[in-house]
Amino acid sequence: MPRLIRLCLCSALLACGGAPDDDGGRVLRFNLRTEPPTLDWNLAADSASFTLIEQLMRGLTRLDHDLRLQPALARSWEASEGGRLWRFHLRRDVVWSDGEPLHARQFVDGWRRLLDPRTASEYAYFLFAVRGARAFNAGEFDATRLGVSAPDAHTLEVELEEALVYFPALVSFMATYPIRRELIELHGDRWTDPENWVGLGPFRLKEWRHEYRIALDANPLYFAGRPWLDRVVAYMIDDFATELVLFEQGRLDLVELAPLEIPRYAGRPEYRRQPLLVGYYYGFNTRRAPFDDVRVRRAFAQAIDRERFPQLLRGGEKPSASWLPPGLLASNPGIGLAFDPARARALLAEAGVDPERLEPVVVGYNTNDPRHKLVGEAVQAMWSENLGVEVELQPREWKVYLKQLTVDPPAVFRLGWVADFPDPHNFMELFTSSSANNHTGWADAGYDALVERAAREPDPDERVRLYDEAQRILCERDVPIVPFFVSSLNLAVAPRVRGLKPNALNAYSFEEVRLD
Amino acid sequence: MIRYVAVRAAQALGVLWIVATATFGMLRLLPGGPFDREKALPPEIVRNVEARYGLDQPLAQQYASYLGGVLRGDLGPSYKYLGRDVSDVIAESLPVSLQLGAAALALALAGGVSVGLVSGMRRGRALDRGLVMLSLLGVSVPSFVLGAALILGVALYLDWLPGGLWESPAHVLLPALTLAALPLATIAQLTRASVIEVAQRDFVRTARAKGVPERVVRRRHVLRNALLASITYFGPLLAMLLTGSFVVEKIFAVPGMGRFFVTAVTNRDYPLVLGVTLVYAALVVVANLIVDLLYAWLDPRIRVRGESE
Repeated sequence: MPRLIRLCLCSALLACGGAPDDDGGRVLRFNLRTEPPTLDWNLAADSASFTLIEQLMRGLTRLDHDLRLQPALARSWEASEGGRLWRFHLRRDVVWSDGEPLHARQFVDGWRRLLDPRTASEYAYFLFAVRGARAFNAGEFDATRLGVSAPDAHTLEVELEEALVYFPALVSFMATYPIRRELIELHGDRWTDPENWVGLGPFRLKEWRHEYRIALDANPLYFAGRPWLDRVVAYMIDDFATELVLFEQGRLDLVELAPLEIPRYAGRPEYRRQPLLVGYYYGFNTRRAPFDDVRVRRAFAQAIDRERFPQLLRGGEKPSASWLPPGLLASNPGIGLAFDPARARALLAEAGVDPERLEPVVVGYNTNDPRHKLVGEAVQAMWSENLGVEVELQPREWKVYLKQLTVDPPAVFRLGWVADFPDPHNFMELFTSSSANNHTGWADAGYDALVERAAREPDPDERVRLYDEAQRILCERDVPIVPFFVSSLNLAVAPRVRGLKPNALNAYSFEEVRLD
Repeated sequence: MIRYVAVRAAQALGVLWIVATATFGMLRLLPGGPFDREKALPPEIVRNVEARYGLDQPLAQQYASYLGGVLRGDLGPSYKYLGRDVSDVIAESLPVSLQLGAAALALALAGGVSVGLVSGMRRGRALDRGLVMLSLLGVSVPSFVLGAALILGVALYLDWLPGGLWESPAHVLLPALTLAALPLATIAQLTRASVIEVAQRDFVRTARAKGVPERVVRRRHVLRNALLASITYFGPLLAMLLTGSFVVEKIFAVPGMGRFFVTAVTNRDYPLVLGVTLVYAALVVVANLIVDLLYAWLDPRIRVRGESE
């Protein structure tokens, strides 16, 4: 027996494999938290995948840390027909990580693959503005009629269904990056394995131990110059306490702080905060009483004291009564219903609602983030205190909650919105009558028309005016939603890390990072 | 003996079929599907995604093609990890869980038997009382508390061992110890009780009366008989170490299969849930089968009864 035990112990200890990567080089380690579902940019649809693809790949344009649009693979571009036709001129010095030069045709291949119904890409709709794209994606005709072409190796021409002023910002998004069709056809789904992978970014895929870690090495062929770091290692540690212990032990350089860990780090030199284009709101189910009455909705909105949220959550939340977050064109803090309990009670009385007799108001939220419960309890207290109504909190598992929102939303529901691209259209389109993300049941033709006109309007001042008008309808006149606050990214960064600049879309590149 | 094994193996297959069917049914009853997103997808995209995974077919057909796949050894594609088959996911993560389980098993057996022996031989003395207290603690402290305490104490404050990850033998110790604590304490208690019982038996007294040296009495007579009790516990223990590692794997960031038990369900990754459940069910069934056969081999009475039936 003892020999058997010794044997078991030895084999167990030896079999763990994988030498520690403390090889003394310029190595940055961070916690990605979860396994990225894919590194195929035509298919990626989640933040873990996006974070890695940001290191591995580049597209026509790129948003810098102030969300200014910068040239990337395209050195310039121009529009004609008021923004319906676009021509992108590619850089001539770009080669893939295997040495193959970049060709405009590789964008055409990428867009066709993205939109091909057989690819089943969730982000195919990003290019629905391209002529014929939507019909092609619905399987109605073939790819040759798609409005994208490569007249020569360094020019890409795009024809849109309608003018779209923010199109160059759309093509900064990963789903629109070029592909190497011949390699994808050769390797199939395995093309994203490290031995098959090619890209155009500052780093190349070196190692992928599923559910554990991914290693990226500097790409010496990167068109903007080899990055300073030799290697970036992303771990997939999903336990908050464990990642912080490893951070404290110096085994991780960068950790995104979980909501409840933020107060412990605030004030320490490792703590970094970046406001995000992430809106947090409560929506009303306007199909059913009492929230079918706009006065009731306004009353509930004016009974919210937004200043309480940052005190409660302590994650750099910025209270906002308007919907467009700071940092976006047309963001206007002057819009929205302010906290006014007296006015709220008057509105409720005016609507003929007796708080004593009102059925408990159900507030739904999802349980995968502990902040939602804290916010829910705060709102419960505010509505009870300021309006005298009883509130029943209804926590639900995430997928159950999503189903409930599409089938039969609770009277009041929590949701958020994370910007896909930094244009107000991305936020305002959410509450149009045709949006699948509008769970309020509210529809307004005037609002729809304003949002649609603003998307085509080339003059920024006129766009701001149109969005102001639409925001007043949304946040003051009809109030199908109550914006609460704009969220922040909260990071713990080891003091030796220099040059890390996350932007408001929660994107950060390690291209410019150095270690002391 | 052969017939006994064949009957037990057929029963095991039946159990697996029931597990697969019940899991398939329960998953589809759960509200919310694999492609429900915070950002709702346009209808044509939902259709494309559902067509890709055959989710647009009638449920009976999906069930039939799933079972057919399982019989061919194909557990289907993961919905969450694009381009990876469930078999790949399991092939990469199961060995890690098995390594952790094996290390914990070794610790539990070696530690539990030693503690039980020492404790039983010194019954009633201070050392015995201390060890009994310790094993009571081991049985009652849940692994998430013990794991967190070990990380805080051994990793963070003492900085002796890494507080997580799976890189070197040093990384195995804390998770294996956390996982082994409960079975170690249980084995210690079982061994102690049977040592005390066996030590009072007639054959032990006879051996002593014949003048057999105490060392030989303990090893040949007491230890060997006391171990039978622990072997009884071996089956459930094996299953527990292999299936009970979810919490430990999560706390110590070990890339094993345990995490899929929860994440695959929250993602509604139907094929992965089914695959993981089937593999665990198979492990438990096989572990129990082995223990039954071990009994039959160790204790002739069981074998004789089994064959005469």
